[in-house]
Amino acid sequence: MSAKVAIVGIGQTALRTSADDRIYHEHDYEAARLALADAGLDRGDVDTVICSGWDAVDGRTISDMHTAMSSGGYLKDSSHVGEDGIMALAYAYMRIAAGLFDVAMVTAHGHAESSFETVSNVVFDPLFVRPLGQSHLVSLALQANAYAHRYGVSDEQAAGVVVKNRGNGAVNPRTHLRSSVTPEDVLSSDPVCYPLRALHCPPQSVGGVALVLCSEEMTRRISEKPVWVTGIAWAIDSYDLGSKDLTSLSSLSSAAQKAYGMAGISDPLRALDLAELHDITPFHELLAYEALGLAPEGGASRLVEAGDTARGGRLPVNPSGGVVCGNPYGAAGLLRAAEAALQLRGEAGQGQVPGPERALAHGMSAPSGAAARTDCVVIMEGG
Amino acid sequence: MTQEEENIIVPGRWDLPFRHTAGRIASHFFHALVEKRIIATRCPRCRRVLMPPRPFCERCFVPLDEWVEVKQQGTLEAFTVCYARFTGLPDPPYCLALVKLDGADTALNHLLGEAELEDVERMKETVRIGMRVEAVWRDEREGGIQDIKYFRPLA
Ligand SMILES: [Zn+2]
Repeated sequence: MSAKVAIVGIGQTALRTSADDRIYHEHDYEAARLALADAGLDRGDVDTVICSGWDAVDGRTISDMHTAMSSGGYLKDSSHVGEDGIMALAYAYMRIAAGLFDVAMVTAHGHAESSFETVSNVVFDPLFVRPLGQSHLVSLALQANAYAHRYGVSDEQAAGVVVKNRGNGAVNPRTHLRSSVTPEDVLSSDPVCYPLRALHCPPQSVGGVALVLCSEEMTRRISEKPVWVTGIAWAIDSYDLGSKDLTSLSSLSSAAQKAYGMAGISDPLRALDLAELHDITPFHELLAYEALGLAPEGGASRLVEAGDTARGGRLPVNPSGGVVCGNPYGAAGLLRAAEAALQLRGEAGQGQVPGPERALAHGMSAPSGAAARTDCVVIMEGG
Repeated sequence: MTQEEENIIVPGRWDLPFRHTAGRIASHFFHALVEKRIIATRCPRCRRVLMPPRPFCERCFVPLDEWVEVKQQGTLEAFTVCYARFTGLPDPPYCLALVKLDGADTALNHLLGEAELEDVERMKETVRIGMRVEAVWRDEREGGIQDIKYFRPLA
């Protein structure tokens, strides 16, 4: 039913705490150059560029437009999303699937010139919520607490997710925090927004991510290691935290069902060889297992305890270390797709999962209403 | 260009004045708060009582014009206590809560007060999801969400 689209180029810059020697467009520029080199293409081959960015974080309005030049878009077709770069991937996919273009550049950056907690307050509505001190982390903590309370998820179980992911990140030279932690480290870390502790919370990372997407015909001509997008879908839920069930991720389940249908997946735990999820908190990684149909409601922490989602487990989740290790806000979701694609090419280095054929990447547009969310699910297969 | 040259940092700040209209629905709600009444809109189709009130039901996609008064007591559906200090956000610790008032089908974002927050262990013993809470009013009410000072545990 749908046209085939492949990821043929992957570019990531090193993630770090700050980069005062670069303006934010340069993260997109460097990642775009890397992705073009990886694809064996140059700027002239690109038909359309899709950029992403968040105004308040970048400190200028329509910041998603400023990066068009740094993504190779001079005098080309371009569109932009004010959300995570995973949605730029979705736009690029549609433009190619529609038959309008052959080659698309997708870029995203993380930047850290202001505190994300401070600026995320303006995401909330000024009448009912903003004056109360709502923020990105506060809303995620409300959701984490509601979920943990309903299903009895313990502090130790949440720590287990962090220990798994930080251990994976310790051998990933591309991520930001590259040291493992013990359960004791997590359990003794400072409370930030109860039940979230300091080591549950992702860093604010600086860096860029870019992918080159290609039509089937062009891919057959130029790429020896394509990663095919075989399912992609996204969904949005209410922005009002009080109007939704915080103990499940309804927009993610909705997106996953559509993406599974497109990719012909009925049993995701069997069908998938690895997943890269937007673990904005360890509780959200657990919530995502349930929304993706990998565990029954309330049963996610048992997967972690059994080691099923460890790198050597049944379905490795976040072999890259996930968002808790590297979090370029605005690019963290697109980074999940980049890491999943690297895995399918067998190029993930020490963190490589043996011989994966099918992977899932999940990105969420975290601050577009905070815990109220937009989620995107991408299913990809090696060539 | 030498390696030693320092990177210049230009300070920035957004301070942009807006006049946010509450619109007719939220204005009606805020006027009621001045009189210590909490009101919500009810959907004619799914019958949900939506709090805070809104002009339409997002699920049924129909306009809402029926008003109902809800109780000033309710149940704590979710909460978090913020212990970290972030620029521009309230001084820690503060407790942000979702309160489902009796008679409403959706929960209101608000603060929880008169609770032990300072010490995490004591907080965990005193603040619990499912506990009953009630509205505490400000003496000077101006027609805004903070006319309710906070919710407090019901003795
Ligand atoms: Zn309705």
